[in-house]
Amino acid sequence: MRCVAVILAILLTLGSSSPLAYLKLGAMVNGRVIDATWKQQPIGYFVSDRPGNGVTAVDLLGAVDRAAATWSRVGSANVRFAFQGMTSAAAEGVDGRTTLGFIDRPDLDRVLGSTSFMIDTTSGAIAEADIFFNTRFAFSVAADGRPDRVDLESVVLHELGHLLGLGHSAIGETERNSSGSRRVVGSGAVMFPIAMSPGTIAERVLHADDVAGISDLYPGPATLGTGGIVGRVTKSGRGVIGAHVVAFNPETGILVGNFTLNGAGDFVIARLPPGPYILRAEPLDDAEPDSFFPGAIDTDFRVTYASRMVVAPQGGSSPTIEIRVLSK
Amino acid sequence: MKSSWLAFAFIAAAPMAASAQEAPALRARHFTVGAGAVWSGAYDIGAATAQLRANATGATPPPLTLFIARSRVTSATAPELRIGFAVTRRTAIEFDVALTRPHVGVAISGDAEAPSQQLQGERLQQYLIAGGVTWQLPIRMGARMRARMAPFVSGGATFLRQLHEDRTLAETGQVYYAGGGARYWLRGADGSSRALGLRGDARVNFRSNGIDFEDKMRIYPTFSLSVFVGF
Repeated sequence: MRCVAVILAILLTLGSSSPLAYLKLGAMVNGRVIDATWKQQPIGYFVSDRPGNGVTAVDLLGAVDRAAATWSRVGSANVRFAFQGMTSAAAEGVDGRTTLGFIDRPDLDRVLGSTSFMIDTTSGAIAEADIFFNTRFAFSVAADGRPDRVDLESVVLHELGHLLGLGHSAIGETERNSSGSRRVVGSGAVMFPIAMSPGTIAERVLHADDVAGISDLYPGPATLGTGGIVGRVTKSGRGVIGAHVVAFNPETGILVGNFTLNGAGDFVIARLPPGPYILRAEPLDDAEPDSFFPGAIDTDFRVTYASRMVVAPQGGSSPTIEIRVLSK
Repeated sequence: MKSSWLAFAFIAAAPMAASAQEAPALRARHFTVGAGAVWSGAYDIGAATAQLRANATGATPPPLTLFIARSRVTSATAPELRIGFAVTRRTAIEFDVALTRPHVGVAISGDAEAPSQQLQGERLQQYLIAGGVTWQLPIRMGARMRARMAPFVSGGATFLRQLHEDRTLAETGQVYYAGGGARYWLRGADGSSRALGLRGDARVNFRSNGIDFEDKMRIYPTFSLSVFVGF
């Protein structure tokens, strides 16, 4: 029986902040939602010495090291990690240390891993984050993967994306199986909330959507040459909240997405390589909406393309383009 | 004595008159200006497939198609200005400029969640600045045309600058062309005085760079009709 595993970011905060898991994690500071990010780098982390199911703590350390290097190699972003040492502490709780490790969570039988945060509510700075990997699942660190085991590096890469402040991406396609759970058919982002099947190792490599997201959070010098697309998704003249808009560059083949985040249906897709893009608006129906939004969203509309290509200009943003969708 | 002089004059003049009758000529070392309209044919600028990573084992799983976008620059008609300099009575160096505004149409297909459709597309602003040579063919036209019409072949290169509709991104390219046409003189066909005439051109264009989603050379035709004035 194929196990459909779900990766979730559990957002734990101290104080009254209200992190919002859209494309990026946000924190409410002085009445405004700002990006939750690490203000100091390198980001120091510990690895718990507790073994996992089928892998050791040292295996986890290697997977974390490789995944951290993958995020650090993004040329348009400024991200650095520093391993601080092994620890006997569990990868949970508030102890002033960012810890990654295995924990047995039988209550979360569909969750491969999860990231929790402590965020400074005065600045939006991430003060601490812990990532646990659920020993309910058999993991593998084999270079070519193992058909019956979940690739640990792929899960670490996803959770490190959360640790950096990224929310979930909706670029992916799923199908329902007979048990009602979802199976990923295709993914366009490491940050897609549902993991691929055991044995798959392709998600050790970031997608353009992941690169755009991390470049927006931690812009490096190369982001000066990127551009953005701004627009609005409307239905019968009113804004659509929660519409997923994907920008596709036919020249480079990259796919980058974001959501409409307010009642006006406004969206911004930032940190795009300059060039023309085809825009496709779709309802969020390939993953559970609560993996993205705390409240209700509109999924009652048809997949719709913008009437024309839109240019993401170098160092600027496009004029606002409206995508008019119709009810299903 | 008088008759032999006339005979010499007749013999000397005859080849010139015969030549002018057979092939009208440019006025060597003089400029020509022209204005008219040019029609550019449509051409594809590539198909691109939006792909996801399929859920399959291995480091490079097969792609999963989200949708396919086929793009095409539509045909367009635009004004054209030309200035030429006749190096000889048959050969001229020419520069012409044109501003066209074709559409980039996009056809969407292969989307499991949406029907195949043709998007409205965007309107490009396209500047073409060409430099080339025309050479008038030594071909005898029909008797009624021989004093006024002369065919030519042409070749040259064009600098292409394309601005997307929002005018926030420009792309440049080159167009190499070969073709031919004919000039029809309304006056000044002998190449010794100011000229006025009509001109038709047909070219095959080989475009590289510019807006293209596959970085391929594209071939498209242009036809133009213009009025020229020779000084």
